Amino acid sequence: MKKIFYTSLSIIAVIFSFVACETEIHPTLEEAESLIAVDGFINNKPGTQVIKVMLTQAYFDNSLPPGVTGASVQVENTTSGEVYAFTESAAKNGDYVWTPAASTDRIGVPGDQFRLRIVAQGETFEAVSKMGRAPVIDSLTFTFQEENAFQPDSYLAEFWAKDPDGAGDTYWIRTTKNGVLLNKPGEINIAYDAGFSKAANFDGMQFFPPIRYAINPSEEDADEKALSPYVPGDSVYVEINSITESTFDYLTLVIAATDRQGGFAELFASPLANVSTNITNVNENGRKAVGFFNVAAVTGAGKKFVLNK
Amino acid sequence: MRYKLLLLFFLPLLASAQQKFTISGYVKDIANGEALIGATVFVKEINNGATTNEYGFYSITLVPGTYTVQYIYLGYTTDIKTITLDKNTPLNIELTSAADQLEEVVVKGEFEQPTATNLEMSTVSLSMKTIMKIPAFMGEVDVLRSIQLLPGVSTVGEGASGFNVRGGGVGQNLVLLDEAPVYNSSHLFGFFSVFNPDAVKDTKLYKGAIPSRYGGRLASILDVRMKEGNSKKMEVQGGIGTVFSRLAIEGPIVKDKASFIIAGRRSYADVLARPFVKLLKDGGALNFYDLTAKANYNISSKDRLYASGYLGRDVFMFDKQQGFSWGNTTGTIRWNHLYNEKLFSNITAVYSKYDYKLNFGDDDKNKFSWKSSISNFILKPDFSYFINANTELNFGGEAIYYAFEPAIAKGVSNGDLIDTSLDKKYNLESSLYASSSQRLNDVFSIDYGLRFSQFASYGPGTQYTYNEPERGKRKTVIGEKQYKSGEVMSSYNNFQPRASFKAQLTESSSVKGSYNRMVQYLHLISNTTASNPLDVWTPSSNNIKPELGDQYTLGYFKSLSKKSDYEFSAEVYYRATQNQVDYIDGADLLINKNLEADLLSGKGRAYGLELYAQKKTGRINGWVSYTLGRTELKVDGINQGGWYPTRYNQTHNLKVAAFYDFNKRLSISGNFVYSSGTPTNFPTSKFTFQGIPVPHNVNNSRNNLNIPDYHRLDVSLRLEGREYTKRGKLRKNHDYWVLSFYNVYARKNPFSIYFSQTDEAKNTAQRLGYGQPIPSKATQLSIIGSIIPAISYNFKF
Repeated sequence: MKKIFYTSLSIIAVIFSFVACETEIHPTLEEAESLIAVDGFINNKPGTQVIKVMLTQAYFDNSLPPGVTGASVQVENTTSGEVYAFTESAAKNGDYVWTPAASTDRIGVPGDQFRLRIVAQGETFEAVSKMGRAPVIDSLTFTFQEENAFQPDSYLAEFWAKDPDGAGDTYWIRTTKNGVLLNKPGEINIAYDAGFSKAANFDGMQFFPPIRYAINPSEEDADEKALSPYVPGDSVYVEINSITESTFDYLTLVIAATDRQGGFAELFASPLANVSTNITNVNENGRKAVGFFNVAAVTGAGKKFVLNK
Repeated sequence: MRYKLLLLFFLPLLASAQQKFTISGYVKDIANGEALIGATVFVKEINNGATTNEYGFYSITLVPGTYTVQYIYLGYTTDIKTITLDKNTPLNIELTSAADQLEEVVVKGEFEQPTATNLEMSTVSLSMKTIMKIPAFMGEVDVLRSIQLLPGVSTVGEGASGFNVRGGGVGQNLVLLDEAPVYNSSHLFGFFSVFNPDAVKDTKLYKGAIPSRYGGRLASILDVRMKEGNSKKMEVQGGIGTVFSRLAIEGPIVKDKASFIIAGRRSYADVLARPFVKLLKDGGALNFYDLTAKANYNISSKDRLYASGYLGRDVFMFDKQQGFSWGNTTGTIRWNHLYNEKLFSNITAVYSKYDYKLNFGDDDKNKFSWKSSISNFILKPDFSYFINANTELNFGGEAIYYAFEPAIAKGVSNGDLIDTSLDKKYNLESSLYASSSQRLNDVFSIDYGLRFSQFASYGPGTQYTYNEPERGKRKTVIGEKQYKSGEVMSSYNNFQPRASFKAQLTESSSVKGSYNRMVQYLHLISNTTASNPLDVWTPSSNNIKPELGDQYTLGYFKSLSKKSDYEFSAEVYYRATQNQVDYIDGADLLINKNLEADLLSGKGRAYGLELYAQKKTGRINGWVSYTLGRTELKVDGINQGGWYPTRYNQTHNLKVAAFYDFNKRLSISGNFVYSSGTPTNFPTSKFTFQGIPVPHNVNNSRNNLNIPDYHRLDVSLRLEGREYTKRGKLRKNHDYWVLSFYNVYARKNPFSIYFSQTDEAKNTAQRLGYGQPIPSKATQLSIIGSIIPAISYNFKF
């Protein structure tokens, strides 16, 4: 819902752009202790899975996030009883990797429950997740859209998939263009059933148009002139990752905290707030952790854009 | 207790055994017949008097005798009448504006009842004459922007809708236009207000000591009264400015009996830009307009009828089908009736509606539409009983029927229709009030009253009950109950005592104090930096309790010279509030049937000191206002349960407004504003999730740092058109130019500071590879970062 509103604000932003101005500043921030930060977004695709155990860093520290070494990381499929040990990578950069015995092995099937257990720096952290279901992508299409105030003549990609019946399925739709993951904060494309939110109640439908179209990156050339998101010859690959409702809420907060468009949209931005976490210290009085653990079922489809004449 | 109160009210009646007579009537402007609100009627012999009410009516009851009565209004020549009172004497007075009469521009403040001697406190009035002189943004004179130059009134920055009074939220001000509530007082997100200055007569802001006849909001009441229209002659006025053009026509329908005014404005940036901008050529629109109209009819010397209305809208369209719009519509009918020379009554009927609409998607198989509205029907009888020169009794009631349409939302996805509309809500707010103001002796005057209000929610509807698994997190639905049409779903009763006193220390100085309790049943739901047009209002329910506020004020008032050219005041206030609304992190406020599950409730406190010095007359005049204040909330689940400053907390707030007349034609005015930076949330650190740096505050504190201070200087020059033609004849037309400069020294005042990852990549090829560090940055946004000059031409004939 907010996205639609932001789009509509862009027209006003144009008007005020001649008086508004933005300056990069370097404020002094409060000192803070480092916390364990977990990036545990794994899935049921065959092949290796990575969980990153890192530390938070000062906000303006622009180096790679520091990895935690010597931790023990395991994921248990509590439905099947299977335990998957993640071992520290040789690079010792905080990556912990599970490599299946056979290249077709998967970590579970939709409906399975999982528990993550991390022992790091003398403390034990846990998180649970349930693998949801992801609908099959029926097709990917490209349509031509004539030039308008915001876009030149453009080709827009759309993915076609139908949310299965039964309310409460949540997804993260991730897009790769020409082999590059579209991963800017503004490109986080999440759905509650086929709509934006639980309240929208879009159960069992084709994904709502703004979600279908959110696989189009906004691109500019070196002169900041808008480009068509896709041109003949480009390839697009779309994955639907099932996420839990708490991961959906978490990503909603991540979008609010990171997708700052600046300019006039700031008038209507929510104040900065901490995002949620499902990583808990087994010792209630121990150090808190941040990050999220989610096990996704993934469906995908790809297409190379060929213009039919 | 109840009987004692009744006794208090009627005691003065019993005491008036001696035969007395009444002088009563209306005070008006001789030039156009407009009623003068708040004019002083001063009786020398008793060193006391009365003030005209909102309709210009006054009434004084005295023992028989001969009296010297002065009719006084700032900027007007005082009229003095000698009256031999041996029967009830109706006396209508017309005063002459000093500016119309004097050769010199110097306004001789002959005499005005200074603030130090009346009972009012925490109240400020701005006449249109003053507002017209204040340097205007984009050359457009504006009521709300002018109000912000007064003590205790602030804003979070350019582009923020509404205003904050004494640490209250934007939604805690009741804005009335001819007694009709206006739910969104801004055009173009707060850059301009909805009030057309050509149609406004008088603006009064109650920040404290709020009279019993007002209720419904915690922080303030802004009472805007429209002109009645010139009852003497036809008059056309208007202006051509940088943003809008305005035109107003007023005149008599039946001379001295009935008159009208109709005033309109429209922005025209889009009209001018249409040939050049493709978006606008293709059916896009960007404009705002409003139309204000009023008529009155003097049925007899005892009855007068007023009808007024407002219609305004902001429209933003990308093309013919897509875009959004919002606006207010109000209509007011009022009937003044004099039962006798002592008992004045007014019955008001009001209709008011605020709505917005959005439409997206340009084909029928994929589209989305959403509209929302709040409508009111109000009936409000008010009575004033002028018992004698020392006692006045006011009583009446108010019934407000609310109909809410939180969302009528329809989406079509690939041909399938989804209706996500929310239940409508129906409420009735009924109030009764009575108050008495009494002058006890030469030193003490008191005003006390009581307002009782009831707020009920009616079916049809669904009532949800929630439990709260964790403080500060989303609540879960545990029960649902359906109600039939007309069934009471929830109801609240509240007594709101009001009291104030004045102690006249000397002829020119006084101490005043007040206590009042206010109740607010409607809540503005907004968790964005600035309030915006899509913010929804939601009524109190079984889950949201009415907001309560208790305010205490104490002030010292002093006139510094005999003519009261200089005035000084100092006031302190403390307001404690209950059931303040705040939000969980990640609250979903739009089209959410379980909105109440995302709301938190807590308490608040706001306190401060306001200093105000004004020079009222002379070639150079103006005021200095300073406010030292703090406003905080304490909500379980936020800021670890501790007090935190609100988004609009400002420690220091200084304003200077100055006016200088070079000569009769050329004048200059300037204002300077300084305020402490408002609080905001800064992160301490960050972590990376799936290649995205996410800001984090380890202390989980709310509003932990302030953005830099705000200051700005505006200047405007006004050149009056020549009074005489070249041949020496008096010109019939009156015209003037206004040249204004907003933000003279081009300060880049911060509106907000936001944190984001640096985003150098313009396209896919330039993107950083996955796993590379992504730098973070902080950006300070200034909505207006340069000087804005503007020119307007205004005329009247």
